[in-house]
Amino acid sequence: MTETDGSERPPATLIEPIDMSTLDASFRREIQSMPDGDELSACFACTTCTAACPIANQWEYKPHQLIRMIILGMRDEVLSSKEIWECLTCFQCQERCPQKVRVTDIIFDCKNLAAEEGKIPDAIRNLARELLEKGQLYVITADWEREDLDLEPELPGLSTEEFKTILRNTRTGRIVGGE
Amino acid sequence: MILSDKVLIIGGGVAGLTAAIELADSGVKTVLVERQHTVGGNALDLYKAFPTDDCFYCFEASRFRPGIRKCFYRSALLDHPNLELRTNTTVEAVAGSPGNFEVTLMVGPQYVDPMRCIMCGLCQKLSSAFVLISPQCQPQAVVYVPDQADDNVKEAVEKCPTKAINLEAQPTEEVIRASDIVVATGYHEMKPVGMEEYHYEELPDVVTQLELARMLDPNGETSGQLVRPSDGGPVKHVMMVQCVGSRDENYYPYCSKICCVFALKHADIIAQEREGVQVSVVYMDIRTYDRHERYYRKSRRAGVNFIRGRVQTVSKAKDGGLEVIVYDSLLDRYLKFRVDLFVLSTALEPSAESNEMAQMLGIRTSNGFVASLDPTSGDEVIVGDHVYACGTALGPAEVPESVTQARAVALKILQGRK
Ligand SMILES: Cc1cc2nc3c(=O)[nH]c(=O)nc-3n(C[C@H](O)[C@H](O)[C@H](O)COP(=O)(O)OP(=O)(O)OC[C@H]3O[C@@H](n4cnc5c(N)ncnc54)[C@H](O)[C@@H]3O)c2cc1C
Ligand code: SF4
Ligand code: SF4
Ligand code: SF4
Ligand code: SF4
Repeated sequence: MTETDGSERPPATLIEPIDMSTLDASFRREIQSMPDGDELSACFACTTCTAACPIANQWEYKPHQLIRMIILGMRDEVLSSKEIWECLTCFQCQERCPQKVRVTDIIFDCKNLAAEEGKIPDAIRNLARELLEKGQLYVITADWEREDLDLEPELPGLSTEEFKTILRNTRTGRIVGGE
Repeated sequence: MILSDKVLIIGGGVAGLTAAIELADSGVKTVLVERQHTVGGNALDLYKAFPTDDCFYCFEASRFRPGIRKCFYRSALLDHPNLELRTNTTVEAVAGSPGNFEVTLMVGPQYVDPMRCIMCGLCQKLSSAFVLISPQCQPQAVVYVPDQADDNVKEAVEKCPTKAINLEAQPTEEVIRASDIVVATGYHEMKPVGMEEYHYEELPDVVTQLELARMLDPNGETSGQLVRPSDGGPVKHVMMVQCVGSRDENYYPYCSKICCVFALKHADIIAQEREGVQVSVVYMDIRTYDRHERYYRKSRRAGVNFIRGRVQTVSKAKDGGLEVIVYDSLLDRYLKFRVDLFVLSTALEPSAESNEMAQMLGIRTSNGFVASLDPTSGDEVIVGDHVYACGTALGPAEVPESVTQARAVALKILQGRK
């Protein structure tokens, strides 16, 4: 694969390398132009963010790798990754980053971009749809806890209608509402 | 030892120059021996220099010399009553004893008298045997290269307006007495010939950092244009590789200390002054020590790509330029790049014949560089009895450090005198 003149040497790697020309070099600028992305390229791959992350040990792409991938232009891989959706938004990485890279915010930006492209995991999509339909995620049921606290079984004055109207006109409505 | 006793300084790079001028200014007779036709050493080829991004000639020059704002070398080297400059000269033998050395110098033929040449360029137009090594060369004079002689050189001799050329000049031997000797023989940038993965010298678009500096220099062959040496095509992507020949037990075990800084200096220059050129740096560690960290941050901000890992292969791309496969150890992936210029940050090695020099002077070496007599003493510039060293002769160093050591040498010598 590395030798194209049809001859002699066997390939140097058996795994095809990632051809950088097929990546999206503008991805880095796209993220950097967002309000939180300013410091993106300051990242020097120290892995502090990954060390801080409570969940990254389960991830294929660790936070510092996601940042590298953004810088290199691996747009599709980042935006289709499950990791950006599993981020707990705990801000541990962002708080500790020695270069002031807003890691959590950048992951959030990626979620927004992915959502715009319809790359939303089913579970999240279902949640959003439920929110649009019911106006609330957790329907309050008359249960013993409220009773124990001497509260009315129904939430007084709760109107999900207004909220649903608002939501339908937001991005959430636009992206998942149509189906 | 009396104050004016003669000091021999071997090597006219920044370190040797500084030592010579400091001593001469203090009233010590100095002889500065340089084997090239010009002083300046490696710094002549650096273009802009960290830490100030100035042309190196000016940034150490302006102090304490009323009336000379820029280059102290310009006037001091030729006119200083305490300083004798011998270019195109080598040290052949050292005899005598510490404090009273007897040194034999081999002074090469002085075909062009630097006191007469006015650099009018007439001889250069007539024959390619006359060359100007650098616009900043010192002494300011053209140099005659006998190997290049053609039929026109005679005419040049006749037409030279100042009669500066003498083709019959002969080498001469000179014996001098010196109380102290300063070794300032500098370094050499390693040429990574034979390092299989990089194909240096096989692929013209693979160059070293000093060669890149020449390309960036407006006074260089390409007038500062970045073009592919192979076919003159435009350069859109420059890739650098760090630690070539350094930190490598097969070559030099030490870290060359300043290659990270000068690589990033070049990366910054390209990212900021050359439109639309992408720079990538392949590294294992970036060691921009103390204040130089700013070069690292600056180049990241300027959009330079840093890839931690090593190069797997470099080969010619079909459409000109090179194809480089890099292993990215942070992502655990192999990446394939199209680059136009592949720049190797090679080791700083001891300059040629520095072993012979050390033997002649009876001083020790470490990794080929001159070693301090007592590394624990804090007097790192003392390398023998009445023998001193400064600058990169002691190991990789930047210009400010070389200059500081040169001043330390001058102080040490002065302390021993009345
Ligand atoms: C690519 C590159 C970029 C760099 N950029 C910077 C920078 O931006 N800023 C910075 O501070 N530093 C920079 N440096 C480092 C800088 O070049 C050195 O610190 C400085 O030039 C060292 O000066 P020196 O006098 O010790 O040695 P040299 O410059 O090597 O001078 C030694 C002199 O001794 C002569 N000589 C050697 N052997 C003999 C002999 N036997 N007899 C007579 N003469 C002899 C040589 O001809 C030479 O003129 C850079 C280096 C490289 C490779
Ligand atoms: S902590 Fe910051 S600088 Fe370090 S790898 Fe993470 S994003 Fe990069
Ligand atoms: S914000 Fe997300 S990526 Fe950052 S530490 Fe928390 S879970 Fe990990
Ligand atoms: S012609 Fe004479 S004065 Fe003019 S550059 Fe040549 S040597 Fe110097
Ligand atoms: S200064 Fe940088 S490139 Fe040079 S040897 Fe050290 S780590 Fe490697």
